[in-house]
Amino acid sequence: MRVKIAVLDFPGSNCDLDTIHVLNNVINIKADLVWHNYFKESKYDGVILPGGFAFGDYLRAGIIAAHSPAIDEARVMLEDGRPVIGICNGFQILTEAQFLPGALLQNDTLTFICKWVMVKVENNETAFSNKMNIGDILNIPIAHAEGRYYIENLKELEQNNQIVFRYSNENGEYTKDSNPNGSLANIAGVCNLERNCIGFMPHPERASESILSPKGTSHGKNFFYSMVDFIKKRL
Amino acid sequence: MTKVRVDENELNVDLTQSEVEWIQNALERNPSITELGMFDVMWSEHCSYKSSRPKLSLFEDAEKNYDYVLAGPGQDAGVIDIGDGYALAFRIESHNHPSAIEPYHGAATGIGGIIRDILCMGVRPIALLDPLRFGPLKGNPHSQWLFKYVVKGIADYGNCTGIPTIGGEVEFDKCFESNCLVNVACIGLGTIEDFKHAPSRAYNPGDYVVLMGGSTGRDGIHGVTFASRTLTELSEADRPAVQIGDPFTKKMIIEATLEAIKTGYVRGLKDLGGGGLSCALSELTGDGGTGAKIDMGKIFTREPNMNSYEIMLSESQERMAFIVKPEGLEEVLNVFQKFEMAHAVLGRTDDSKILRVYDGDNLVVNLPAIALSESPTIPRTEKRPDYLDQLLTEITPEPSKKLDEIIYILIASENICSKEWVYRQYDHEVGVRSVVKCGDGDSGVLRIIGTDKFIAASVGTNSKHCYLEPYEGAKEGIVEACGNVIANGAKPKAMVNCCNFGNPEKPESFWYFAEAVRGMADCCKNLRIPVVGGNVSFYNEDEVSNTAIKATPEIMIVGIIEGEDNIITLPFKEFGDDILIIGETKAELGGSEYYSVIYDLEGGIPPKVDENQIKTRWNFIQELYKKKLIKANHDVNKGGFIITIGEMCFKNELGAKLDLKDYNNYGLRDDELLFSESVGRFIIETNPRNHNEIMKLAKKFKIYVKKIGVLSQNPTIEIKGLKSGKLEIDALKMKNLYQSTIPNLMEI
Repeated sequence: MRVKIAVLDFPGSNCDLDTIHVLNNVINIKADLVWHNYFKESKYDGVILPGGFAFGDYLRAGIIAAHSPAIDEARVMLEDGRPVIGICNGFQILTEAQFLPGALLQNDTLTFICKWVMVKVENNETAFSNKMNIGDILNIPIAHAEGRYYIENLKELEQNNQIVFRYSNENGEYTKDSNPNGSLANIAGVCNLERNCIGFMPHPERASESILSPKGTSHGKNFFYSMVDFIKKRL
Repeated sequence: MTKVRVDENELNVDLTQSEVEWIQNALERNPSITELGMFDVMWSEHCSYKSSRPKLSLFEDAEKNYDYVLAGPGQDAGVIDIGDGYALAFRIESHNHPSAIEPYHGAATGIGGIIRDILCMGVRPIALLDPLRFGPLKGNPHSQWLFKYVVKGIADYGNCTGIPTIGGEVEFDKCFESNCLVNVACIGLGTIEDFKHAPSRAYNPGDYVVLMGGSTGRDGIHGVTFASRTLTELSEADRPAVQIGDPFTKKMIIEATLEAIKTGYVRGLKDLGGGGLSCALSELTGDGGTGAKIDMGKIFTREPNMNSYEIMLSESQERMAFIVKPEGLEEVLNVFQKFEMAHAVLGRTDDSKILRVYDGDNLVVNLPAIALSESPTIPRTEKRPDYLDQLLTEITPEPSKKLDEIIYILIASENICSKEWVYRQYDHEVGVRSVVKCGDGDSGVLRIIGTDKFIAASVGTNSKHCYLEPYEGAKEGIVEACGNVIANGAKPKAMVNCCNFGNPEKPESFWYFAEAVRGMADCCKNLRIPVVGGNVSFYNEDEVSNTAIKATPEIMIVGIIEGEDNIITLPFKEFGDDILIIGETKAELGGSEYYSVIYDLEGGIPPKVDENQIKTRWNFIQELYKKKLIKANHDVNKGGFIITIGEMCFKNELGAKLDLKDYNNYGLRDDELLFSESVGRFIIETNPRNHNEIMKLAKKFKIYVKKIGVLSQNPTIEIKGLKSGKLEIDALKMKNLYQSTIPNLMEI
């Protein structure tokens, strides 16, 4: 059975080739880089919106892409349960498109931050976390200026178990020091109620090969394995 | 400024009277206003190198003397063959003047320009590095403002284009207070085929000339002539000469250009930077031996009613000119369409060797293509400044503070402390190539995916040393930058430089330039490192305070690491290991951080470079690498080797027990021994069981290596064997000072 994943290429996406590299050469599955105007949902089992600055992030991070025809295609996938994943800028697009609740605001440092952090798995029943265990602590880098997650009704999000990942320290505690950007409740990634749409600020594609990790880990791989597994179970 | 009458207008140009006469004679008529503007720009110091060219001929011919050099000076970037079918392009450039006036856009467009230069070589830009210079931050809001917005400009632009910023260096010194330096370097990677397909020349008559990218506006007109003058109080009024960058469009240009090249129909390409269309068209045709007929009306402008003068001289960012084979025009234009990039077919090349530009039926430019790119040179006089004799005789004052106190002050000083505040703002990981994390190595290290080869790159120079002894200082810059890539396990392959100096019309300023070039040329010849490109920025001088910057010949070195297990990082790894120093320490405190920070002293004898010695040390280190005997390596730099050892302790919070009793061959004072900045030393970590083997090799190579201590678990640096007895330094306190200086200064 062939799993076919599309990596959406918006003008200004810049982690597109990195994500394709990991899918093709590390995870060893077929993934296409698809220019946003040419994207047809019917050809794919799942889609990833990669990091970058889609449409220059003009107006507000992710908002222009969120109103592009490619997102209408992705909405079809969202509604019939295929995985729709947003990484970094992709997460910003998915909140702007209201596939996911909440918003991503400017970091509380008021600067772009590029550094390796740790996240803890809170929900392992999603299309981007099912190969992990609850409580796993993962090494992964962030690189963003607008990654401070915010939502009006945190309680509802918690009750629905929609928080998938939170920034933590090495002991799994949600401290202020381990929260790099001031996200509400240390939130790093959330999902929709159906668990097929996930947005995640850190970059798993930069954490999938031990040579790139300061600690020699490759925790990023499990995100993509989860996506593949989720697709296989659906088919 | 020279006043020239053209028809009924009087134009102020930066050309000299004799240059204007030369042009009139060559054309056998008066130039049109647009033509005169084009000469003004193309013959500016920035574009024509008219003062520097005679000196730059001292560099040996890289393409002739090194078989792996594919493109040398004079091209948009230097290109080397790194094996496995790959070509590496790199270049460094200055964007000092615009950044001094408008730090954010000045720095951003500097990045934009250097990216285009690399793209012109047909390869993908994969990394950026930025050496910077500012006035001291402490108590200086102007310097803080420049620093903050230059870094933000680089970050916003580089991050958006998806090119990681993997390295750089920052120095703070009073001389840069009103003339900050923003140098930008870029590295590109592609196959040798990619490179061969895209020369920046129009060799073939009959090809189409296509302009792609942003629209042409009134911004940046005369940016290059602005960069070829000293800054005055009036410079604030020059703000319209600073271009505005658009990193999003740049990202699109990168992708559209690379995809257009892949069609195989692009025969030449050139970025529009300094001098705009004038520069691009005259270089494409002039250097290619062709001519061209251009219809100016096809150029898409940002605002109506722009005249030919403005259009030809505009330095609006984000534009590229393509020379396209006739049979492939449609396919290339389709690529531009896909990316929704504006484009226009401006005309065709021909064999006339004349560049003709029509505005409707009016012929507004009618010039021999070669004339613009062949400016006359200007012989400049050089004179060694009188003040140097006095400065060089300064002797080391009696220590006014305790040694441990001095060490804590030095580690927290602006030039030595951690630059994490800077690199946290840069996306240094996009591209999934960065294998040594910022702070873990002396250079940036990138993998070449699909091979077991790695690129190491470093930039730097020591402005304080160059101020006292530019010949030795420039050599030191090369040895340092090479030392940085060697410390990460690489072999240095090639060099590019960016010369930042004062006003060349002043003999003292020109002497610094001439000496630095002589130093670089000699050092590169002696170390067998090809110089594959360079950039000269003069007029970094401030007429208000009448001060020139300290001579700053920035050096960029790229090296290659063969194999993943040959990558070495700087943090100490394991307690119980030996700490060895390679190279002797001499009383070379002139221009040191110790003098500057503790005594506010600028003089003394700076370090000297002995290339034969240095070369042997490098060979010795390569031999140790081959035998896998080195666990950590850090090049000794500002503040002396005690600072180097401190930096190596920080990451894993280790300590060191040092005994310097037998490491003082010249009977130095304690402060001289600890803080001297003698060039070309390394601190390495080795396993104690390899000691004999290492010493045997040292004997064979005839180099000086000494075990000066062992690593301890307890994060304290104990120093025995000093004349003043024992010293104990708290490594954690040192680390904390190292990390907190810049955040404390920049937090408002």
